[in-house]
Amino acid sequence: MTHALLSRPAPSRKGRPGGHASVMLGCVVDVAEQPGGHARALEDLLLATAAGDRDAFSLLYDATAARVFGLVRRLLVDAAQAEEVTQDVFLEAWQTAARFDPERGAAIPWLLTLAHRRAVDRVRASQSSRDRDLKVGIRDLDVPVDDVAEAAEIAIEHERVAEALTSLPAAQRECISLAYYGGCTQSEIATRLDVPLGTVKTRLRDGMIRLRDLLGVTT
Amino acid sequence: MNPSDGPAGDELRELIDLAPAYALDALDEFERARFERALPGSPELQAEVDSFRAIAAGLGDDVAPLAPPPSLKAGLFDRLDSAPQEQRAAGPAAPQGRADVAEPAPFAPAEPVRAEPAPVADLGERRSRRRLAIALSSAAAAVLLITSVVVGANWFGPNGWGAEREMSTIAAAPDAQQTTAEVAGGGEVTLVSSAELGRSAVLVDGLEQLGDEETYELWYIDESGPVSAGTFDVPGDGETWRVLEGDFAPGVVVGITVEPAGGSEQPTTEPVAVIQT
Repeated sequence: MTHALLSRPAPSRKGRPGGHASVMLGCVVDVAEQPGGHARALEDLLLATAAGDRDAFSLLYDATAARVFGLVRRLLVDAAQAEEVTQDVFLEAWQTAARFDPERGAAIPWLLTLAHRRAVDRVRASQSSRDRDLKVGIRDLDVPVDDVAEAAEIAIEHERVAEALTSLPAAQRECISLAYYGGCTQSEIATRLDVPLGTVKTRLRDGMIRLRDLLGVTT
Repeated sequence: MNPSDGPAGDELRELIDLAPAYALDALDEFERARFERALPGSPELQAEVDSFRAIAAGLGDDVAPLAPPPSLKAGLFDRLDSAPQEQRAAGPAAPQGRADVAEPAPFAPAEPVRAEPAPVADLGERRSRRRLAIALSSAAAAVLLITSVVVGANWFGPNGWGAEREMSTIAAAPDAQQTTAEVAGGGEVTLVSSAELGRSAVLVDGLEQLGDEETYELWYIDESGPVSAGTFDVPGDGETWRVLEGDFAPGVVVGITVEPAGGSEQPTTEPVAVIQT
């Protein structure tokens, strides 16, 4: 499957209606098509949203809803809850768009950060940890790695993240996946894996630092 | 906030160690609240968080997209009219501009409008806690609305959304207790506390508004005497809330005094309210 932010316009972008994107690491330019073919960067749409521009918000929604919903749905198996949370995420984006600072990041990471936190909060509020463990247990915790993405010329930030993840020691990868895709806290991971909390903390920290080094993200 | 107020030394190192877990949303609510209290005081910590957030968002963007049902968008736009927007701190935003946003961090998500207490076994307990959480949440939301309009978006600070999140956490704690006391001079104060979290907060109603020269100050009082737990001011409607600074332990007494603006090291007046826990 291809669900990448391609470095060049993609001929087919299933599931990302109305949008295409180009990426250099650290400089993501997502754009949304407007009637008339004029494209606007998602960052500009988010800035316009902060000023109350509903048309901009509508375009932003069209270009990003599938990515937000995809992530939320991954964390929340229940479809109705995932829809509710997705709507809340966009409502929050509408209300707090003024906090978005394009100097410090792109629109998609900003939205996905909101979405992940909301989804995790919902997971923790609505399910006992036992239920959650069961749910996480039956799902594939490894990041889906795009087979097609081996092609070196496709410089894709999130695919690079996925690729870097596969290069981590299995124990670190498992902890990061349980945290991010499973919505587990450090303590829940420790319980689930039956390892000391300190070990989980070390694995998460070392794994994330290694990812950061691999991807050349500067602090 | 003055950076010199931020964490330093061992505390900063410990927080930096937690930054990856924070960016993955893997801290429990209390750890997260503690982390977010420290965040605005440390640009170094913020930079760590930003870098790990970028990694986490990359993980999120790797999930296969899935189109939501069309009804979701319609429902969303129906809600916009009743969803006030935060304004940029630096005046009206230019749609294409790059207006400065002073605080908070771009990645700090907002507190959910509705506080959902964690499930507990006892239904009665859950109901009463839910009522409390809803009451706190709506009171806090009302205050927030005012605060947001007056001072602009504010994640941090004593009544910021970070604090509101912590307030909800305390109210939703399985062992949350609430105690209400009268305030001399009118009004009442409710203390919400959780021994398990070691935190407490006050919700005040009908308190007299003080002038610029004075402020209300909160105190934790135990055998060794009073220790300041922060100050607060009340707006014209006499209603506000505040998460107390420092650790709460059952049995401690919470006092409120009126002090010169900026607060005092030790109380200089008789308390207007005292709450036994």
